[in-house]
Amino acid sequence: MKKTILVVDDFISIRDFVCETLEKKGYATVGASNGNEAFTMLTEKSDEIDLVLTDYNMPGCTGFELLSKIKTNPSLAQIPVIFLTTEANPEKMMRAKEAGLNAWIKKPYRCETFFSQIENAIKNG
Amino acid sequence: MDSNQQRFVEDALDLLNELDEGLMQLEENPQATAPLEQLFRTIHTIKGAANMFGFEAIGALSHQLEALFDLVRQGKIPVTDGLISITLQAFDKVRGLLKESDIQKINASVELKEHTEIATHFLHQVDIASGGMLSAEGAYHKNEVATFYIKISPVISITTQGNHPLVFIVQDLESVGTAKTFLQENATGEIVCWELFLTTTSPQPELESFFLFVEQDCKAEIHKLGAGNLCEDEEFNQAVESFVSEGFNLEIFQALAATIAEKNRLTAPFSDEEEEEINLSRKKIKSNAVIKVSKYKIDELLDWISELIILQTQVSTIASASTSNKLRDAAERLEIITTRLRDTSLEIGLVPVETLVTKFKRLVRDLSRSLHKKVNFLSEGAETEMDKDVIELMAEPLMHMIRNAIDHGIEKPEQRRAAGKSEHGTVRLKAFNSSAYAHILVSDDGKGIDSAVVLKKAIEQGLVQPDAELSEADTLNLIFHAGLSTASQVSDVSGRGVGMDVVRQRIHELRGSVSVKSQLGKGTSIHIKLPLSRSIIDGLLVRVAEARYVVPLSFVDRIDRIPYQELNLEHRLNKTVIVNGEPLSVFSLRKHFHEESEPPKTSDIISITLEGITKGLAVDRIEGKMQAVLKPLGDVYQQQDYLAGSTILGDGTLALVLDPQRLFKLADNKSLTL
Repeated sequence: MKKTILVVDDFISIRDFVCETLEKKGYATVGASNGNEAFTMLTEKSDEIDLVLTDYNMPGCTGFELLSKIKTNPSLAQIPVIFLTTEANPEKMMRAKEAGLNAWIKKPYRCETFFSQIENAIKNG
Repeated sequence: MDSNQQRFVEDALDLLNELDEGLMQLEENPQATAPLEQLFRTIHTIKGAANMFGFEAIGALSHQLEALFDLVRQGKIPVTDGLISITLQAFDKVRGLLKESDIQKINASVELKEHTEIATHFLHQVDIASGGMLSAEGAYHKNEVATFYIKISPVISITTQGNHPLVFIVQDLESVGTAKTFLQENATGEIVCWELFLTTTSPQPELESFFLFVEQDCKAEIHKLGAGNLCEDEEFNQAVESFVSEGFNLEIFQALAATIAEKNRLTAPFSDEEEEEINLSRKKIKSNAVIKVSKYKIDELLDWISELIILQTQVSTIASASTSNKLRDAAERLEIITTRLRDTSLEIGLVPVETLVTKFKRLVRDLSRSLHKKVNFLSEGAETEMDKDVIELMAEPLMHMIRNAIDHGIEKPEQRRAAGKSEHGTVRLKAFNSSAYAHILVSDDGKGIDSAVVLKKAIEQGLVQPDAELSEADTLNLIFHAGLSTASQVSDVSGRGVGMDVVRQRIHELRGSVSVKSQLGKGTSIHIKLPLSRSIIDGLLVRVAEARYVVPLSFVDRIDRIPYQELNLEHRLNKTVIVNGEPLSVFSLRKHFHEESEPPKTSDIISITLEGITKGLAVDRIEGKMQAVLKPLGDVYQQQDYLAGSTILGDGTLALVLDPQRLFKLADNKSLTL
């Protein structure tokens, strides 16, 4: 069965681009434009989503806040989360890891890195 | 560009609008954190998306500006006008380039690089101002090149063919600098370890962060060997070669790095940083060094240069009558040098129109808010230079025009939507130089001027006869008429009809011209043309009977000689003269001002094109080209506005400088044309 990835980014071009790229590789995708929207989606259909791929800096609810919400919610905590972001602050990365983040992909990314991280996270998550 | 890039351009343009808005809010309220956060996030998003879709130049620029605003967020530096304006200007450039939708051009743009340098320099300056506190605290990323040794040993079984992220992370790591990588595999192809010599500007914590999420799968050691690009050093490379057989020894490599650093310090005249400092200051001397001089001194300098030009003209006149070749040579050289001196000194008084632009941005923002309209303000050519006085004198008229554009031109968002336009209206200010003029275009994409309404109002107010037949252009020009306002409802902002006539008056005082074009439903554009110099012009010296006149050279299209008889058209129906195969409406100076004296055999016709219409000016003879220093005429002549002034000729006599525009207008009004 196709794995479904929730792509969260407030910038539409990027979100669309990421979704398209993933779909070409055989994943199903759903999109959300910020953390709150994503979280609502997750609580509604937690069984259908296999991975959350989110931006870090977003208005409303940041990627980090979304991560904390997911990991502290027992019914969602098992879903792997990956940050896809321009942010590269090692301290923020460290905190995210402690909060349960699976991987941190820096934009701009290389295709191979991107897919290997996603596969790896879905497999191990 | 592919469709993704195209889409990025569209989205990025929207983001840029938000960005402008944010900057304005921040300017108004520098302490507010909400707009600051919003602004930072927007710049951050632009940076990320630009990099992702291959717009590296925009990414690099955004990166520098992001760094600056990050410092503001951390409270390390304040919001200043300087910061706001470099950001506005930088993103204006980005916007302009994005609209052209040419990624190659964008990435090769020298201007983007310049804006990036300006931002980098700004960061550098605030750092210096803080006494180096910022860089010492590590508050921003200072690009220091260093060489590292990195050893990654997987604890799980992976091969280079496998799809484990680690394989790609190592590749990503290599790409952050120059790397020499050594891979050890065991007999079954399993990776034992990677060893990298990496020269990069990324600091150690950033390199470590690459392995943060694969900690359970590998062991990573990162050691800094020393500063600088060691991979370029021969001695170091030899050591790297031998490392393959002898194995890695941190002490040996670090000692080697220290020796190399010492050696480089001795041989290189300056360290990288010093060199950068020197380059920067050199560049400043050439492009940015500024001294403040009182306006009075510049005016005085220009006065003396004017006198010098008059004197030089006299010397040239004497020399041309002389038989001495030496004197002629000297006079010719004197002329060349005086001309250069004139040009250079005129430039001294010129300043970029940029100062105005910043004011206008604010105006547009405030106005659009109070009128509940969505308006973008775009400026182009802010670097165009104009006389400082002229800029100051034009500030008010331009503000008035922009105010009109927003108040009368741009429609309310819902109306725009209904008309199939984007909700955001655009007001554009474009400045550029051509020959001896500065041009300013103020345009909007609003509803345009309805010439029928203008005409109706003008007739109602008795400005025009009801049966008058006016061309479209003439009708539009009525908006410059005192007392005419087409606004059906007078608002607080504009529309009291005391504006455009003052605008035109001011422009005419500066010897400039103004024209308006408008398309109903599409928008309005007003074109202002102003002479660069207010007192020195290149002119064509002409003779009519005993008098001599100067016609500003910038107006002259061509010159033709015709028999004088052809000008005797009193009895003909069609009052034009065929010149160069074309019929031309001609104004004869002789017939109007010097009828009494003996007519010459031929007449020279100067073709002049004004506002798209070519007319001829008939004179007896062209005497030559000259630099004319405009001297104001006495009070008696103040009413004769077809005279721009007077000038002193080489032989000490006086010539009147004509204003062709007024002259033709005079001819039109009194139906004087022949």
